[in-house]
Amino acid sequence: MTQVVVGQILNGIILGSLYGIIALGVTMTFGITGIVNFALGQFMMIGAYATWYFTDLAMLPFPVAVVLAVVLAAVAGLIADQALFRFTRNNLVNGLLVSIGLISVMESGALLLFTTTPKNMDIVIAGSWSLGAITLPRMKVVAFLLLVAVIGLTWLGLSRAWLGRATRAYAQNPEAAMLMGVPTKLLQTGVVVYSCALAGFGGALYASLFSLEPSLGGLFILKGVEAAILAGVGNLLGALAGGVILGVTESVGSLYLPSAFRDAYGLVFLVAILLFRPAGLFGSQK
Amino acid sequence: MKSFFKGCVAGGLMAAAIPGFAFAQATVKLGQIEAQTGPNAIYGYMSSQGVPIAVDEINKSGGFKVGDTTYKFELIALDTRGDPKEATIQLKKLLEQDKARFVFGPFLSNVFVTIFPYAQQFNGKFLMMGGGTRIHDFVGKPGNDFVIRTWNWDAGPKGFGEKMVDYLIKTAHPKKVAMLFQNDSGGKVLGDIYEPIFKARGIETMTEYFEPGTKDFSPVLAKIGEFHPDYLFPGYSDAALYDIVRQSVEGNYSKKFFLVRGSTGPGLKNKDGLEDYIVYVPKDFEEAEKKEPKVKHFIDAYKAFYKRDFPYDQAPLCSSSCYDHVYMLVAAMQKAGTVEDVGKIRAALLSMTYQGMWKISFDDHAEQVFDFDIVHLKKGGAKEVVHVEP
Repeated sequence: MTQVVVGQILNGIILGSLYGIIALGVTMTFGITGIVNFALGQFMMIGAYATWYFTDLAMLPFPVAVVLAVVLAAVAGLIADQALFRFTRNNLVNGLLVSIGLISVMESGALLLFTTTPKNMDIVIAGSWSLGAITLPRMKVVAFLLLVAVIGLTWLGLSRAWLGRATRAYAQNPEAAMLMGVPTKLLQTGVVVYSCALAGFGGALYASLFSLEPSLGGLFILKGVEAAILAGVGNLLGALAGGVILGVTESVGSLYLPSAFRDAYGLVFLVAILLFRPAGLFGSQK
Repeated sequence: MKSFFKGCVAGGLMAAAIPGFAFAQATVKLGQIEAQTGPNAIYGYMSSQGVPIAVDEINKSGGFKVGDTTYKFELIALDTRGDPKEATIQLKKLLEQDKARFVFGPFLSNVFVTIFPYAQQFNGKFLMMGGGTRIHDFVGKPGNDFVIRTWNWDAGPKGFGEKMVDYLIKTAHPKKVAMLFQNDSGGKVLGDIYEPIFKARGIETMTEYFEPGTKDFSPVLAKIGEFHPDYLFPGYSDAALYDIVRQSVEGNYSKKFFLVRGSTGPGLKNKDGLEDYIVYVPKDFEEAEKKEPKVKHFIDAYKAFYKRDFPYDQAPLCSSSCYDHVYMLVAAMQKAGTVEDVGKIRAALLSMTYQGMWKISFDDHAEQVFDFDIVHLKKGGAKEVVHVEP
């Protein structure tokens, strides 16, 4: 049983990194534009379907399909920002309403294009690595490494590069950042587009692991928001940690408790944490 | 002559003034409540695809004659999204506003259980033809004449589930079977049906349920792996089965599968990793297309109507409240000599054996009995199809 538990901890970490990349998008968008983009799950869906399309139908190599899927999600994000989100900056309720409307539109579009028949991408990397009773599918491990790399690079970029410092400065004090010459409109658009691209990247890797349905984004945006709140909104590396904690809680919880209520275990854990740390695990408690 | 002319003019003006007046008597409204979208849409999808084709064919051929009148269908297909509340509102609209006497669906048990109390108030005034598993508990009971179940029941002498388990025992001699179903009305009823069937044959079982929408099944599969089952019996829609089969094979939890809901798709996708995949399929369309003209006609009609590829993996679900059933309804109305007396139409429907894509009849409880296939996939994708006539 110990090996089964260890196996599920590892599985939870891997799955959690997928929650983490959505959480990263949520936390970045909220920090810079003041809205929670609930449609990020649908940008993930775009990335997932695009990867499936480019790989299985257009027969392109998987890495090329991933790049194209990310570009497509980013372009969709740019269109959404210019057509909709730029009118809702720093207005939480309007942003929420727009993003909820966008969910319906994007999901209906996917239904029209792909129907409800699940799409299952051809296996990219077959086989598993085994150590005793612990078996981890190779693709899951590769996806985890890629997700951690992207989240890490995003953190590095935001903490070292000028644009990253400008972004953080804007998040802390928009007026001061503006006075210091930070191109705020461009920055806000850039962050929305980048978070959509991140979601698209998450979707591309999701497609290599799970079957696709038009409604796939709904579950992951909820997990992403949960992970962001658990970590403390605004904390970039915390978003990854929040996702991992959520993933491990669900995986290990399902072993000892009924699997039928798996999603509840993460939520119960989140509520318990918020009772003691209202700003999240890594958020400032001031 | 003068008064005749006046009468004609008055009649013409009246018909022109009231839209649809001239044709109101010649239209039969056919309602449909199925999940066309949403996570469990896989079940309603094929029904919602097949019915419009039949309606289109019938209407384009000039309609159907009952007595001296020629009728056409008006289809009102509504998307429940698998949401019982939505379905209740839609059924209310169909029965009270549209005055539909024939409703196809639902295929989802949770939807049926919710709409049942409302629908029952209209007993004797309309017919509902749905495939939902839980309909079995209500069909054929006093006060429930309105409901007809359009799917084989699993248990009993003609039950397809019993025949599936017999096939499993005959070909694989399993000692332990692990069941993994969705935690909802449909999933729970599967557990209730199959635990006794396996027990009666001396097979040890373990039953686990998963949350609807689950994508990562590793934890529950790891739990099942500790039971060391000979076969994994997962359910019940492809949306979950693709992931369960793949993750079970990749994680070495189980490589042998037994299914009574779902398609061959998940097995074919993982054909190189699995060892055995035995699945109940109402019809193996790929094989049937070569041999059965009615099946070929349907496939061609589908491609022409929707201008897209035929969904071979989903098509078997058209055995419930779908294409054939529209033609059955027409035949029943013609036999009953009425499009309004639902009691007579019901009696005609239940007494007939219809040979469409399937050979369909009904048992004493107004539950459908039809022929089906057992598809047995082996490692590498080798396929054996066994046809069963209950």
